[in-house]
Amino acid sequence: MITRIQFNEELTRLHHDILSMGTRVENDILKALDALRSGDIDLAKEVKASDQLVNALQLKIEDQVAVLIATQQPVARDLRELVTMLKFTDQLERIGDYAVHLAKAAKRQAEAPYPRSLERLAVMARTGSAMLHDAIAAFLSRDEALARVTATRDDEIDANHKAFIKELLDYLREYPDQAVQATKLIATSGYLERLGDHVTNLCECVVYMVSGAHAELND
Amino acid sequence: MKFLTKKRPAAGPLEFATTMDGATTRGGADAGSVEAGAALEARQLNIFYGDFCAVHDLSIAFERRKVTALIGPSGCGKSTALRAFNRMNELIRGVRTEGEVLFHGVNTYDPAVDPVQVRRWIGMVFQKPNPFSKSIYENIAWGARINGYSGDFDELVESSLKQVALWDEVKDKLKDSAYALSGGQQQRLCIARAVALKPEILLMDEPTSALDPLSTAKIEALLDELKKRYTIIIVTHNMQQAGRVSDRTAFMLLGDLVEYADTKELFLNPRDERTENYISGRFG
Repeated sequence: MITRIQFNEELTRLHHDILSMGTRVENDILKALDALRSGDIDLAKEVKASDQLVNALQLKIEDQVAVLIATQQPVARDLRELVTMLKFTDQLERIGDYAVHLAKAAKRQAEAPYPRSLERLAVMARTGSAMLHDAIAAFLSRDEALARVTATRDDEIDANHKAFIKELLDYLREYPDQAVQATKLIATSGYLERLGDHVTNLCECVVYMVSGAHAELND
Repeated sequence: MKFLTKKRPAAGPLEFATTMDGATTRGGADAGSVEAGAALEARQLNIFYGDFCAVHDLSIAFERRKVTALIGPSGCGKSTALRAFNRMNELIRGVRTEGEVLFHGVNTYDPAVDPVQVRRWIGMVFQKPNPFSKSIYENIAWGARINGYSGDFDELVESSLKQVALWDEVKDKLKDSAYALSGGQQQRLCIARAVALKPEILLMDEPTSALDPLSTAKIEALLDELKKRYTIIIVTHNMQQAGRVSDRTAFMLLGDLVEYADTKELFLNPRDERTENYISGRFG
């Protein structure tokens, strides 16, 4: 006989909220990328507004988890899952902030376009959102193997970041008067690189939740 | 038969164990086959109520001056096992015990061993406070007196009550009936009565299940103090209590020891699915 029906229902509700939060962040990254490519400032604004909802969701989940810990005294896998939810949503919130940074870059691009290719940034954003998608799937399905595989993709983001920085430095050498634009793009690339690191942290959270072991993925 | 004499041996517990043929066994925690550091060890313990095997092949070693919690659903054999550790089951008709319980390297089930002496070294505190129908003072002094204590009784009563943090509450009414105390105070008095005999091990069978949260908290705080002097084995139905008070936890199910680990490990990352299901309340 399965007991703790109420607790299980609460966990399911939390899963829905985390899925909703994660999907929103994933969409925000892609939306910011669209804004960057199309110069659609309204899209960029939508990302910023959406981030407010992401932040609110994080607080809501945090409160729900705190109530469950206080009232249900979870242990073992249940406790690890709830602790993971706190860490997971904290990371998601940060990732949402990076989507906002990308949206700001889109706004700047619309106002003063960078004349060369932004494909590296696009690859980083796409890879990051795909990793995020898989990290959320790994969390919801308690799939440690998927979490570990997903984390390895951070290398792709790092490689593109490195290559893009090189391109920007070359550009800067040719057009020293474009230093402001170049340094802002260096920062944006750095944010996307950090985004990959945070998704890797999500994957580490999943490994902990499933196995109880602290893993350093993709060091 | 010198085993477990009333007077504690001057040279320490290693000296007092004598086997049936008179050869001295150098017992102690690290002697012979007793696991190093163990205060008590059960080996292949099988306990039967008639034909029913309530505890099956239990082998477990309890660490010295640690609190070990025995947990498991009703009927899993944890209380039966606990009572076996000081031969209390023999007071129950129809109980048969096989296997060994080693205390200082001596099998306490050796026919030559006096169970009364076993219980003097391995004390028991029960679920419901059961003070004697005597004064608070006599609850401590009486047990010690019939066990041959010949020292200063006032001192013994005071030190025993101080050990259980009850002294300040009762020092002005030592002649009052123990029944005048609250349930929580009575239980602490029972623990004081047990420690007055200067045991090495305290067995506790759900010692707080009849108490309110405040009294429970006091007993739990007390356990932390008592383990500096005694090895404590506690049976509890309260998972949170096991998590709070114990260093090691043993999970039993249907008479079997399923998992035995450090409490933190067992409550955070149990190895056995059955343990996981039980401690997280998913057992029907």
